[in-house]
Amino acid sequence: MINVALAGQPNSGKSTIFNMLSGVNQHVANYPGVTVDKKSACIKHHGESYQIVDLPGTYSFSMFSLEERVAKSFLLDEETDVIVNVVDASNLRRNLYLTFQLLELGKPVVLVLNMMDVAKRREIAIDCDMLAQMLNVQIVESIGSQQQGKAEILAAIERASQQSMTKPFMINYNELETYIAQLEKQITLESTIARRWLAIKALEGDDLILKKVGLTTESIRDLTATVHTRHDLDVDQSFACQRYASADLVYHKCVEEKQLGKVNLTAKIDRLILNRWLAFPILGLVIYLIYQLSIIGGYKLTNYTWPLFASLKNIVIDMVPEAQFIDLPPITDFAIWMVNSAIALLNYLPIFFILFALIAILEDVGYMPRMAFILDRVFRRYGLHGQSTLPLVLGGAFVGGCAVPGIMATKGIADERARLATILTVPYMNCLAKVPFYTLLLGAFFPNQMGQMMFYISTVTLFIALIVARFLTSTILANRETAPFIMELPPYHLPTIKGVLLRAFQRVYLYIKKVVTVVMAVAVVLFVLLQYPGVPGDKMAGFRDEANNALADFDRQAKKTGVYTLVDEQTEVFALINLYDGYKAKRMLAGSKKAVVALDQLFLAANPQLFPLVRPENSSRADAKKINKAVRKLSKVNKRLQMAIKSEKIANSFLGLFGRALEPITRFSGFDWRINVAFLSSFAARESAVATLGSIYETGQAGQRAEESIAQDGVYTPLHAVAMLLFMILSPPCIATMVVVKLQSNSYKWMLFATFFPITLGIIISSLFFTLASSLGWSGIQMMQYFYICVAALALALAFIKIKPSAWQVGE
Amino acid sequence: MTQNSKARLLLSDLQQDQKATVKTCVANGVLKQKLLNMGIIPGAEILMIRNAPLRDPIEIGIQNYFLTIRRSEAKLIRVEAL
Ligand SMILES: Nc1nc2c(ncn2[C@@H]2O[C@H](COP(=O)(O)OP(=O)(O)OP(=O)(O)O)[C@@H](O)[C@H]2O)c(=O)[nH]1
Ligand SMILES: [Mg+2]
Repeated sequence: MINVALAGQPNSGKSTIFNMLSGVNQHVANYPGVTVDKKSACIKHHGESYQIVDLPGTYSFSMFSLEERVAKSFLLDEETDVIVNVVDASNLRRNLYLTFQLLELGKPVVLVLNMMDVAKRREIAIDCDMLAQMLNVQIVESIGSQQQGKAEILAAIERASQQSMTKPFMINYNELETYIAQLEKQITLESTIARRWLAIKALEGDDLILKKVGLTTESIRDLTATVHTRHDLDVDQSFACQRYASADLVYHKCVEEKQLGKVNLTAKIDRLILNRWLAFPILGLVIYLIYQLSIIGGYKLTNYTWPLFASLKNIVIDMVPEAQFIDLPPITDFAIWMVNSAIALLNYLPIFFILFALIAILEDVGYMPRMAFILDRVFRRYGLHGQSTLPLVLGGAFVGGCAVPGIMATKGIADERARLATILTVPYMNCLAKVPFYTLLLGAFFPNQMGQMMFYISTVTLFIALIVARFLTSTILANRETAPFIMELPPYHLPTIKGVLLRAFQRVYLYIKKVVTVVMAVAVVLFVLLQYPGVPGDKMAGFRDEANNALADFDRQAKKTGVYTLVDEQTEVFALINLYDGYKAKRMLAGSKKAVVALDQLFLAANPQLFPLVRPENSSRADAKKINKAVRKLSKVNKRLQMAIKSEKIANSFLGLFGRALEPITRFSGFDWRINVAFLSSFAARESAVATLGSIYETGQAGQRAEESIAQDGVYTPLHAVAMLLFMILSPPCIATMVVVKLQSNSYKWMLFATFFPITLGIIISSLFFTLASSLGWSGIQMMQYFYICVAALALALAFIKIKPSAWQVGE
Repeated sequence: MTQNSKARLLLSDLQQDQKATVKTCVANGVLKQKLLNMGIIPGAEILMIRNAPLRDPIEIGIQNYFLTIRRSEAKLIRVEAL
């Protein structure tokens, strides 16, 4: 097995080349200990297998960002046999800066001149033979986006893996050479890396290398001081200057540029995109389009995927044991619960897929850094970063989003403090699944001011996020590493369809693998907590009496008809009820008339005797119609009793007890145990809040919706509703979000913090405003307005208080 | 202080489309490494391209590519107008 690393400066096309070499058989994982994607693939060529790894882009061997650190340690530590250095041929001079350092490592290198199409378009002629000779390395030309150069690169890798390094490339560092030689003698470490390289990095004061070779920082500091006094040279600066000078030399010998000084396309586009007046409207448009296409468009798509999931649900229901009237076998109950929980999450897959694809496009095109450039000033005020924009938007800066992709999009933020702050604030954005809860409460208590309230809810979240970010970055995150904002604006590139789709699929797959599994585990726990210990015996006996009455009633009706023999046994009645309910569920999914006919035939074939009683329209017998009426009534009673049992079960369950136990704390915000249970159960997936509240309040009366029964219940006032809204706005993200927080921050500590900080904040704020409102006699609307004003004022005020300067901001 | 203002010109002072060369940089540590790696070395030519719409950060052209940098860091780089 030969290990090949793809290295190069950012945006030179490494990933594109990697995709070209590996096809779809790639493997995405994380680098050990960090959240940077490690993409690797194993390919066979001429009977030999090659393990290829796509490294993140890096300008030099510095350790500025997490990604650079990963790339560096990979090139140094792992048993890398061949380095493939992908360079942007249209910007050779600057790319050589890294190439020199890779060559100095002393490992076999293949230099891939990518983007030859761009070079050609700009009339840049490169003398490859000359370049190969000067650098003593194999050179391959390629156009990654057009799949050109695959065979040549593979052949070059094969040759490189067989050759042994005779004479590694060297740059003459003039005055520094004596010191390099001196250090070289001190280094005794045996490794595959050239000793000269280690000496150079040691002289540059690279901590990682110093530790590796066993030299102290102090000794190097003394050495650099000596250099400074003897030659009046700054070591770091001379290294950089010498590398740039060498690059200049190579460039002038090998490259001929005809259009020098001509304004290139990227500069022309930027005149528009970054224009002082147009930048914001264009940014707004881009964000709006992403939002429309992914959240709104994806939501529409779920209309088409939903029937798929629903029929999946029906298949599962068909497989588990059937209900015996009001007695639902626990396994059936469990299966339905699990399927429902899974569907609640899988429903979002279309949204995620579109979103991830769009993000991949923006990344490849090169718009992301421009977004950061435009907005950096605003976000910096709150300790965030220009690149926090997209995560916040995806999280739901408008009417609704999802924190999961939002947090996933924080990867690229170089500033560690801002990245963590963004991860911890995205969950405050309006999650799409909270919207049904809002509409439920608004529909019940503020039917006439719905628009106004929705506006408050959707805009206040951004203020809250900014305040929280500012609070975190100036307290617990204050000492985190920050990075100066020094960022390249890369040239624009057309993305490739393959690259975009691959990335979108990989991210969706990671989501399914990591998130869905955890959520399913939590669903099991919640199921147990909601089901047990179950309905107390005396209550259950009451339900059973009612059920028996209904059954007796049905029996009397059935006796009067001529088909009584079909339903004279209880098991037959149960089967009939199940058939009726099952048919109704499937009938809802049958869209066209033809589908209904087909469904009818299917059911008739399976149940030739009972089905006519379920669907008497096709039968001429009057008896069937009579029975059908009785069945319908019985089914209704059955539904009502099942609901009542469920509600009783929840009230008596462990979670119900827990909800009661929390009442002393939540009392100040006006939450009773029922609301507590709804919030607790919503932790698995936000949707459950509505479902649980619904089933607690479900009166079983036909035609009455949950919001009506809540409003009529009389226990809650609009103030209670606003307190609930405030808590929901601030309330903790769902389990899926927590998992992603864990993944991206790489710590359980932050995950727990991200859970309990918002809960505490939510309880405090809703208690505060509920107490104020009840004692001062505010209306619900007033309570919301005052809250809004407070938050907005605080956010604006914070913008004017200067943030503490970062540690690296030194100088004279 | 009788030095003329030209000698004390900072990167953050450049006007749009003004050209300059880098003289010295007073940054330290990581920041210095980063600036050097990005090609801000003595003698390098700089073109001030534009301010961000909110005036900060700024975009410059250096070593044949585009770089953005906040004003607070640009203040650490002394330049000479061309
Ligand atoms: N015109 C042209 N575009 C290319 C070529 N190779 C890659 N691209 C495009 O360049 C952009 C960046 O390519 P990537 O493969 O993501 O670059 P990378 O080196 O992996 O970038 P980082 O991972 O950020 O370091 C994408 O939009 C590609 O489609 C090429 O040969 N010609
Ligand atoms: Mg890449």
